[in-house]
Amino acid sequence: MPTFNDFVSALKTDLLDFAKVNYEEYKDELLKDGTLFIEKAKSDLERWTDGLASGALSKADFEFLLKGKKDLAQMEALKQLGLSKIRITKITNSIIDVVVGSAFKTFL
Amino acid sequence: MTTKAKLLTTIIAITLSMIVWSCASISVFSPEAYKQAVDLKVESLNLMSFATMPYADYEEEVIYLNTELDKAFEFSNGRPDNEISTEQWDILINKEGNLLGGFLKRWETEGSLSEMFVTEMQILVSDAFDTIIGLESGKIDPSEFK
Repeated sequence: MPTFNDFVSALKTDLLDFAKVNYEEYKDELLKDGTLFIEKAKSDLERWTDGLASGALSKADFEFLLKGKKDLAQMEALKQLGLSKIRITKITNSIIDVVVGSAFKTFL
Repeated sequence: MTTKAKLLTTIIAITLSMIVWSCASISVFSPEAYKQAVDLKVESLNLMSFATMPYADYEEEVIYLNTELDKAFEFSNGRPDNEISTEQWDILINKEGNLLGGFLKRWETEGSLSEMFVTEMQILVSDAFDTIIGLESGKIDPSEFK
């Protein structure tokens, strides 16, 4: 029975082949991003590949879950973007407080 | 106008510009949006747990939930400077996507879903709601703006 490590090896080879054919100039980045995705989703992927092997998950289920993971990653990225904007806003507010305080102290 | 007055006017103008800029960047915290997301997370995960059963038995509940999700999206969309949260809702409820919207559509199309698939999707959808809740709770409370 194939193991999870067999799956990861096969996936890396497939990713490299795909990159060579379609995105030769970006193959290193694609392999790096793909490996990072595998690492981040490792525990999920292990369960899902086990489920696929045992028949608890269909091919369609497996594909849906992988795409769901990608959608979730987009939502997480949006959250991080929003939190960054909030941090900038907080810094700006602090600067405003300092500017107002200095102006009042100096002129009033 | 004296030099001091000019300087003061300039500083006030810069300050006001910064306030306008900073306020425009992202919406402030909304207790209503936060509660809406938390409530819908609980309701969604609960209804998802029945997806191993025939869709026809839960059609009314799914229609009701979809309506509530649409309301949450519209509420988010109607708030000023709230594009990021709205985009999150859009990904979550998109029927062509692969989170809650796609899951409910697949349940309807296939009639029932496998136990493992349902359990795994509940984990993803729970995490997806947490990204919305996490962003909302990180927003600045309006009372912090002096």
